[in-house]
Amino acid sequence: MTLTQPSTALDAETIARIGELSDEPDWLCNLRQRWWERATQTPPPTGQEEEWRRTSLDALPRDASLLTDAPLLETHLPADAAEAGVILTDLRTAVREHPELVAKHLGVSDGPASHGHFWALAHAAWTGGLFCHVPRGVSVDGTLVARHVIPRSDVAYHPVSLVIAEEGSSVTLLEEIVSPDGGSAGWFGGISDVRAGRDARVRYATLQQLGDAAWRIGAERVVVGPDATVTTLNAEIGSAVTKLGLDVVMDGKGGTSKVLGLLAAGDDQQIDINTVQDLAADHTTSDLLYLSALYDRAHASFYGITNVRHGTRQTSSYQECRNLLLSPQAGAEPIPVLEIEANDILRCGHGATAGAIDPTTLFYAQTRGLSADEAERMIVRGFFEQVVAQISDETIRSRIIDALAVRIGTDSSDEVAA
Amino acid sequence: MALPNPALNEIPGGYKYGWHDEEKPLQIFQKGLNAEIVAKISAVKDEPKWMTDLRLKAYRHFEARPMPTWGGDLSEIDFQDIYYYVTGTDKAVQSWDDVPEYIRRTYDKLGIPEAEKKYLAGVGGQYDSEVVYHNIREDLEKQGVIFLGTDQALKEHPELFREHFGTVIPANDNKLAALNTAVWSGGSFIYVPKGVHVELPLQAYFRINTQNMGQFERTLIIADEGSSVHYVEGCTAPTYSTASLHSAVVEIIVKKGARVRYTTIQNWSSNVYNLVTKRAVAHEDAVMEWVDGNLGSKLTMKYPSIYLLGERAHGEVLSIAFAGDGQHQDAGGKIIHAAPNTTSLITSKSISKGTGRTSYRGLVKVYPGCEKSKSTVRCDALILDDDARSDTYPYMEIDEDDVTIGHEATVSKVGSEQLFYLMSRGLSEAEASAMIVNGFIEPIVKELPMEYAVEMNRLIQLQMEGAVG
Repeated sequence: MTLTQPSTALDAETIARIGELSDEPDWLCNLRQRWWERATQTPPPTGQEEEWRRTSLDALPRDASLLTDAPLLETHLPADAAEAGVILTDLRTAVREHPELVAKHLGVSDGPASHGHFWALAHAAWTGGLFCHVPRGVSVDGTLVARHVIPRSDVAYHPVSLVIAEEGSSVTLLEEIVSPDGGSAGWFGGISDVRAGRDARVRYATLQQLGDAAWRIGAERVVVGPDATVTTLNAEIGSAVTKLGLDVVMDGKGGTSKVLGLLAAGDDQQIDINTVQDLAADHTTSDLLYLSALYDRAHASFYGITNVRHGTRQTSSYQECRNLLLSPQAGAEPIPVLEIEANDILRCGHGATAGAIDPTTLFYAQTRGLSADEAERMIVRGFFEQVVAQISDETIRSRIIDALAVRIGTDSSDEVAA
Repeated sequence: MALPNPALNEIPGGYKYGWHDEEKPLQIFQKGLNAEIVAKISAVKDEPKWMTDLRLKAYRHFEARPMPTWGGDLSEIDFQDIYYYVTGTDKAVQSWDDVPEYIRRTYDKLGIPEAEKKYLAGVGGQYDSEVVYHNIREDLEKQGVIFLGTDQALKEHPELFREHFGTVIPANDNKLAALNTAVWSGGSFIYVPKGVHVELPLQAYFRINTQNMGQFERTLIIADEGSSVHYVEGCTAPTYSTASLHSAVVEIIVKKGARVRYTTIQNWSSNVYNLVTKRAVAHEDAVMEWVDGNLGSKLTMKYPSIYLLGERAHGEVLSIAFAGDGQHQDAGGKIIHAAPNTTSLITSKSISKGTGRTSYRGLVKVYPGCEKSKSTVRCDALILDDDARSDTYPYMEIDEDDVTIGHEATVSKVGSEQLFYLMSRGLSEAEASAMIVNGFIEPIVKELPMEYAVEMNRLIQLQMEGAVG
């Protein structure tokens, strides 16, 4: 069901109705109103901002009807994890069943500055989302999976995903987002708020397979606590336009983050990602690796900032963005920025490349009996292996490889082998 | 920049060009800028109408455009508090003895005439707004090489001048280029005929002497097919309490198979805003190289660029920046690949010390159809102190697949082990740091002519004195 007539842009009345329709508690209705005010006070990007120069929002389907009933959220929570108190459910259910816990964590932090408007909008207008909570000291074996299935292409949907790993806990979570191809353009404005407490271990992968008319204007904020280790992976496969803002905040001493990205884009897809690695505490480490394979007329932009804060000691960071251009019409704009305000750094650097497959490599593969297409597929898979090999979780790795194959293609020999 | 002069080496530490001559201008226009001042500059230079019109058009562009909000802090620049035209002489002379005495003294202190005798193929000197001295070796003149003050070139070679002026950097390119086009005065004009190789460097020396002075020199270099030339410029200014503005425009046309190297050692005093637009176009098989050293100024915003317009053209930018206390060096380079098989290399080395800030800002752009283009960008930064800062903003826009484009950067500090080792060999901490810094910039310094390399190392040493401990 959608909030139909008048299916215009969001307004205060619509925000109020969202709360009423689901009979939400007062604290939540108030929270929505507060964030709605924030959204109106934080204007949407104009295109002049550095992070928004490469994606125009002119064609964003702002009038798409808001999807009000939470779409299907399929979750997989191993039984022993549930027994240990781990919560993995859609956000509405969590509000009903764990109101205090949700109230403690929902809407308490600001998102990436580049996406301030959309962060506020999602907190005001969410009609679904994910709540994942891992209690203190609990280690989850196996992989938690949550899958948002959006039934229609032409709707606006702004889910909020909250992932909270308390002190000393450990969890691996895959979040998938799917919607149908075709139809008129829809707007997926999902945001993720991920927090790893002291000494927690979090592996959080997002697999985006939206339909080919979808606009993904998303944001993700990851806070890494003292001595915590967080690996994030964003696999962006679908959508017509993606503009993702990702902030990784290293404000706990001794924290470590690995920020991974995989993009396989074709047709007229535009994928634009901006990141901030904020090294705000001593002895923190943050390494980023984004890989794009670009087919047809696809265009990938990457604008990443590594900020080493003044007064920090012994930080390590690296930022790497590699683009494989597989068609003369494909384009890439990798922009890895360093803003270094401290001198006691262990390691700091970045690298960016863009180019076609090395013809010698292609030739060599063909001399071994592969066709040009097979050789290209093999080389692209090899290119992605730099990230894929870092995914230790088998469930996530195979889901990601399957999703990439939609763009890269599969070889008949693979099928036989399978 | 300054040439080595043993007497000056006695001066301990600090900025050694910070003295000023008593201001004795022949002509000084009132402070501030309006269309009348622009017209008056053109009138005093007795320029053709097209130039007056171009200046006025550029002034309107300047007025219409907002100040850049990126890069450094420009908020303290007050365009109405600047002298736009100050001159101590009425024409450039070719004999050193004819230069007004007080100006000659300045250049003697800087070591210009000795250098010319020993080493250079030609020298130009600019003092505030006007070129005061210009000389070129006879044999080059006979081969048709033109090396003149830009104002003089407009009078003596009007057609060649008009054909090329403003073609690389149009009047409306950016706010500061528009300002330069409106009020330009002085600079060098170089034309190297087909097939002529100028073996020794041509040099120009820029000095701001008047307080609140804006220097807006305009340089135009045309290297005709198959020719080659190396041009070196240096700049200093007195240390006044109020800021001066240097906003030059440099246009270079490197025709088919020609080769141009342009070397700058910028050593403005630390109260000068140095906002410069430099751009070259390189045609088929041409080679363009910018060697850009920025040590002085309060704020520099300068990104020498190269448009690779012809097949197999090659462009290089070598950039060194050193920012000491209160300085911001926002420098870098831009390469536009607009033809197939073009190649480019940007190498940047920056050092920030005290509260200094260095920013590398660069662009590599590859247009569709420029297949087999290759570009490598390499940036290294050294941060010497806790309050120093270093930024890297490398923009890349790649719209062609059959290319090899790469960028790499590192930021580091002086390693305590390196220091310890050098000190165990008997060096003081300051000497050891200076040695490490010199090693860090060595790949670029070795590209400089010998005398400049020596001077560069000395300047770094001066900047480094008292850096540690």
